[in-house]
Amino acid sequence: MATQGPIPEILDPMIDPRTGEYAVIAPGHTFKSVTQKIAGIVLTANTPIAWFGGLFLAATIATGVLIAVTWLFLKGVGIWGVTIPGAWGFAIINFVWWIGIGHAGTLISAILLLFKQQWRNSINRFAEAMTIFAVCCAGIFPLLHIGRPWLGYWLLPYPNSMNVWPQFRSPLAWDVFAVSTYASISVVFWYIGMIPDFGTLRDRAQWPLAKYFYGILSLGWRGSTRHWIRYESASLLLAGLSTPLVLSVHTTISFDFAVAAMAGWHTTIFPPYFVAGAVYSGFAMVLTLAIPIRKFYHLEDLVTLRHLDNMAKVMLATGSIVAYGYGMEVFMSWYSASHWEFFMMWNRMFGPMGWAYWVLILTNIAIPQATLWWRKCRVSVWWLFILSFIINIGMWFERFVIVVTSLYRDYLPSSWGTYRATKWDYMLFIGTWGMFTFLFLLFARLAPMVPISEIRMMLPQTKIRPGGADAEVVTQEAL
Amino acid sequence: MKTTPMEMQSTMPQPQVVNTITPAKLTLAEVRRKLEGTTGKRFWKNLDELAGTPAFQELMQEEFPRQASAGEWVDSVSRRSFLKVMGASFALAGLAGCTKQPDEPIFPYVKQPEDLVLGRPMYFATAHPFPTGAIPVLVKSEAFRPIKLEGNPEHPASKGRSDAFTQGSLLDLYDPDRSQHPRFRGEQADFGDFQQQFSSAVAKTGTGEGVYFLSETITSPTLAAQWKQVQAKYPQAKLIQYEPVNNDTARAASKAAFGDYYDTQYNLADADVILSLDADFLGGIGFPGFLPMAAAYADRHRFDKDKPMNRLYVVETMPTVTGYKAEHRLALKPSDIDAFASALAGGSATLTNPDAQKFLTAVLDDIKKSGGRFAVVAGPQSSLAAQSAAFTLNASSKAVTYTETVAPLPSEQTADLKSLVADMNAGKVQWLVMLGTNPLYNAPADLNFLDAFNKVPNAVHLGTHVDETGFYSTWHIPKAHYLESWTDARSYDGTISIIQPMIDPLYGGKSAHDILQTLIDPSISAFNAVQENAKTYITGDFPTGWRKALHDGWVANTAFTPKTLGAPKSAPAAPASGSGIEISFKADPSLYDGRYANNGWMQELPKQVTSMSWDNAALMSLDLMSKLGLEENEAIELTLNGRTIITPVLMAPGHPNDSVTVHLGLGRTADAGRVGGGVGFNAYLLRTSDAPLAASGLTVARGQGTYDLCVTKVHNIEHRGAYAQRDLEHPLSDKDGTFSLAGHEAEERSIIRYATYDEAIKNPDFAHTGASETLVNKVGYNPQGEAVPHEESFFPDAWRYDHTDRSTGKLQNRWGMSIDLNSCIGCNACIIGCYAENNIAVVGREQVKIGRIMQWLRIDTYFEGDLHAPRAHFQPMLCQHCESAGCEQVCPVGATVHTPEGINTMVYNRCVGTRYCSNNCPYKVRRFNFLLYSDYDTESLKFQRNPDVSVRSRGVMEKCSYCIQRIEAVKIDADKNNRAIEDGDILTACQQACPTNAIVFGNLNDPAAKVTQRKAEERDYQVLADLNYRPRTSYTAGVINPNAELA
Repeated sequence: MATQGPIPEILDPMIDPRTGEYAVIAPGHTFKSVTQKIAGIVLTANTPIAWFGGLFLAATIATGVLIAVTWLFLKGVGIWGVTIPGAWGFAIINFVWWIGIGHAGTLISAILLLFKQQWRNSINRFAEAMTIFAVCCAGIFPLLHIGRPWLGYWLLPYPNSMNVWPQFRSPLAWDVFAVSTYASISVVFWYIGMIPDFGTLRDRAQWPLAKYFYGILSLGWRGSTRHWIRYESASLLLAGLSTPLVLSVHTTISFDFAVAAMAGWHTTIFPPYFVAGAVYSGFAMVLTLAIPIRKFYHLEDLVTLRHLDNMAKVMLATGSIVAYGYGMEVFMSWYSASHWEFFMMWNRMFGPMGWAYWVLILTNIAIPQATLWWRKCRVSVWWLFILSFIINIGMWFERFVIVVTSLYRDYLPSSWGTYRATKWDYMLFIGTWGMFTFLFLLFARLAPMVPISEIRMMLPQTKIRPGGADAEVVTQEAL
Repeated sequence: MKTTPMEMQSTMPQPQVVNTITPAKLTLAEVRRKLEGTTGKRFWKNLDELAGTPAFQELMQEEFPRQASAGEWVDSVSRRSFLKVMGASFALAGLAGCTKQPDEPIFPYVKQPEDLVLGRPMYFATAHPFPTGAIPVLVKSEAFRPIKLEGNPEHPASKGRSDAFTQGSLLDLYDPDRSQHPRFRGEQADFGDFQQQFSSAVAKTGTGEGVYFLSETITSPTLAAQWKQVQAKYPQAKLIQYEPVNNDTARAASKAAFGDYYDTQYNLADADVILSLDADFLGGIGFPGFLPMAAAYADRHRFDKDKPMNRLYVVETMPTVTGYKAEHRLALKPSDIDAFASALAGGSATLTNPDAQKFLTAVLDDIKKSGGRFAVVAGPQSSLAAQSAAFTLNASSKAVTYTETVAPLPSEQTADLKSLVADMNAGKVQWLVMLGTNPLYNAPADLNFLDAFNKVPNAVHLGTHVDETGFYSTWHIPKAHYLESWTDARSYDGTISIIQPMIDPLYGGKSAHDILQTLIDPSISAFNAVQENAKTYITGDFPTGWRKALHDGWVANTAFTPKTLGAPKSAPAAPASGSGIEISFKADPSLYDGRYANNGWMQELPKQVTSMSWDNAALMSLDLMSKLGLEENEAIELTLNGRTIITPVLMAPGHPNDSVTVHLGLGRTADAGRVGGGVGFNAYLLRTSDAPLAASGLTVARGQGTYDLCVTKVHNIEHRGAYAQRDLEHPLSDKDGTFSLAGHEAEERSIIRYATYDEAIKNPDFAHTGASETLVNKVGYNPQGEAVPHEESFFPDAWRYDHTDRSTGKLQNRWGMSIDLNSCIGCNACIIGCYAENNIAVVGREQVKIGRIMQWLRIDTYFEGDLHAPRAHFQPMLCQHCESAGCEQVCPVGATVHTPEGINTMVYNRCVGTRYCSNNCPYKVRRFNFLLYSDYDTESLKFQRNPDVSVRSRGVMEKCSYCIQRIEAVKIDADKNNRAIEDGDILTACQQACPTNAIVFGNLNDPAAKVTQRKAEERDYQVLADLNYRPRTSYTAGVINPNAELA
């Protein structure tokens, strides 16, 4: 809504009257109020009881991981539903799902930084945290799903007395590099970004242990210009390193499938399709986290409807790419005149596991496409929250459809089989939700969820030049 | 087991100083022995009793000081839980880790036995005595332990071939549930005591009155001679032979036709037309003469432009592999088969069923046209009418001869058993000596054998297991396995083989010879008896002849000569057609009559045609299922003559309507052993002595819940599809056809390629060109044909397999395999051979059900056409050893690599188990150890393992290796002896077992090798060639020879 008639009488302070867009940050914030608000969440002495409740619940669910993994190590991969021909199941699906979710955080942190999209400042911290924890959850699966996990280190290229290296033509060997790079860069980027804020927390903390803890973490941050210059350079450098990762990591993951020979896997559309899908599910997860956070921690003025709107727009864009990908798959399975492709797609849609495909289309394409084009939906907090779950379910089903339906009915009809997940599959998967939530709640309590320094950089006060006509004495209280 | 007394010097005063350890009054081994053979409640009862004794408590104190400390042992709750944990280990042999292992010194040979080189196997000849005729075998012994059986390549009848039962019988030798000592009234006893008791009791009777022997079919001439001796000494003693699957109809028909018992010999090499009347002669050695007949059939069934191809017609109830190899198959219920047989013999009667009439006319025409070069085959499971019809028609056949019976004492067994039971009920039987039979399990239900049995004061059971009968017998004597015994037997053609033991009886087992010898002269052993009897048929210098017979595995010039018999008398009229649903009782294709129920390999083996494993079912047609409103996996109640059993339902494609087939041999109790106990249902409970093959008047009732059947293949209903019906090229019948989606796809993807004889003559390259005679980019084909030139490869430096070894100057080896689909009869011999050779694990029912069976080689059965009367194709599928293997590319640790000779090897030690290789294998021949499947604990099973093949642990992928251990062994040997490797030196296990020579393996760089010639044929094709994996295993497309009248 770019043009308007007479100015309406009641003005929502959050809406910019010229553009009709929501503001990125609520008006009225000062440096002090921003710091107080965000640091207050961390440094409060009264942890909300709901936080304890949530943590306890998450920990309980996370013990599912411990139980499932212990049983797995004792008995073997056979406790899951994997079999021949479906030799990959929940473990790989979950792995790809979690890694995909992580990509949004990196995109927000890195790519949007390079594109100078200031609105990402308030969401990038917890989005990056989401990435780290998602990668933690994802990373356990490649190790657990192998038959002899105690030898998993053989996938690493280390010089050994056997004089054997990993087989580098294998996409799984590439995965090792992709995921480890991703994990390490993400942790470094996330941590370095938090250093100024740890400094703030160190300075504001009352409790000696907190002072000590944040003191260690802030690595002696003084807030000097030199520090800031280095900080900005480091951020840009890491953003530059992380940007290709957003594309390359999930591309490499997609090669697990694209390089294989199975119909339904062996397709060149997977790299862009997977990356788009990853960003899609990642943004959905960011919304899943952002909406409760802004509600419970009263951050609506920092994470505004503008952010939700923008994230919904990104979801719409990537969701459309994903929809295009699905459409192309169907089209090419016919156009290719390849019986393998045709049967694979026909079977995917109408075979015994066809229900999964239609759930996928409904949750990934039909519902989002039917709603996200409308602004009203994009700024409806409740709808976005529900939709974020729907999309994540849809993205999980996408990997399920890809992994399971391509495998269980492939080339030789004599080896067609079926896939039925067992309770250990579910326990491990649901346990990782608990693990993720547990880690995230700890993060919410112990680290600044929203970057203090970056928000302050967005305030109108920063546009005041010292010594100019509109100079203002910046007092200590104002800081 | 005694622990050595230890003295510990201790200067410091400590609370508990152990100065000596006195040996416990009871040892763990004794505990095991006390608990041996008990199962279930009896086990716990015994264990509990034992646990109360002070000797046991002392033992516990010594072995498990902490657990059995005074307080805990007194507390009954913790004692019980402790016993629960330890209970299993007391009874099972060798569960290591729970007890202190005894110190056992290991000595190397000071004086090594002659010819023994440790690590180098030795081969000995013997035979597998089977009721239908002995199968001559060559046993591979590793340090005097038999580890593999092969056919004896020099034997005139079998020529080195073998079958599934023979291959599987090796595992029975090492069965951990075998009976390990004689028992008297359940307590451990001594064989000498038995001999004492038995011989004195029989001597007291004077004439042998009241002494009855109930034996399995006697196949040993020596045993027959011993029986004659017993009879001479004790004229009133009686011998009854009974096996549930026997040859009664053939005997009765032979008597009626020719006045005496004769065996039929079919020389299928001379038959252009073969008609089988419910005779599964390609199924296994359950049919007498299976090995030579299958070989001859396959030989005549090879497509050769210059030689006429044979044609097989089959009339049967239960679909079998023979039925599916047939060009024309007629599915009839048992009474209709009788009518058909009568019409056939009569030559003129018309049948009500128009399809049957058409079939009959065509068959008779064909038989007439063959000019005597035909055979009508009837077998042990064919009805009397079928047998008689076969005799009548075969009178004018040049391919059928008659000989004296292979069994030295032929009889009509069911009738004999009936009279035995009558005697038992009348109290005439004082001693019932059962030699290798299990009548409490498999006797006809109407005889109420248990009641009669309870009237016998002394029952002696000679058996390999304390089975259903052994448990209730007064005396149980463990029977020696044939690999542990001296005996002899005749094979199908009459040639005598002397069966020599390969290993000392593991558990002190005795043979039937020993039992009979007790009454004649206990001092003479079985060996002496066999040797004495051998003097009757070994000509010339006896010691030389004896040694030659043992060396060769057969005695020359003992084959039967054909008899000339008069014209057969006309057959009795067939009984009137039964009403209602008929039931057909068939021996199980994997377990026979139940004797292999405790054999893990045989239970796990997917059965022929139905691909069921670890189960049996009521097999019926789709129409009957819909008529009764049944679904697969439903449990139903079958009632026959007031007796009822509960079975699951499975659709058998091609089964006739209004009839049900059940397989015998399952449903055994826990006494059968840990493998066989409780598997399947017992069809013997319905079977009566008046109708052992088929009966009418069966009623089916629903409502017994569901039962998830274990089936490994995809013919069943879940994989039918509307898609298959839309895209078929074959004309549909009027009623809604039901098609196997899998089978349809197999055709569509050119996995199965075949043509009729005429088509093949017209277009010899049909396997590559299809109908249009041009190279087509058809699914599954390789557009440039099967041999892609290397110049087109993306990897131009790819190994070309044409290197010359610089030191020897020889061209390198290039291994490959070719499988002739025309010859494969789906008999499963190759699969069991592979299991035995490669230490493949048995995974059990639940794992097989979800698809984790570990067989490296499988027989894929694809049903083509309407499932009411389909064709079926058998395709052995194993690792194709692709030159451009997908699995090799995707293994992240490089655990699967390609050798310079072309084998795709699996490095078990490197495999971490990502299973990517399995995903990338389009043939899905890779098998993964999802759990620890290999049995690391059971001691006796360790003896069977092939030491040249790793036993795989959990988390490791495995697959066919082209028996690389055999290749390497021959290469090493050839290298040491400076000779070239000839074609035929290396035989893979599957190749060696195959009765029809369908599988050929060899060096593709050798132009004279059989495999090179097979691959040079026009019909040679690769499965999934268009994926460009370049498999080294190729298949020869099938050719069938249908009758134009019936097409």
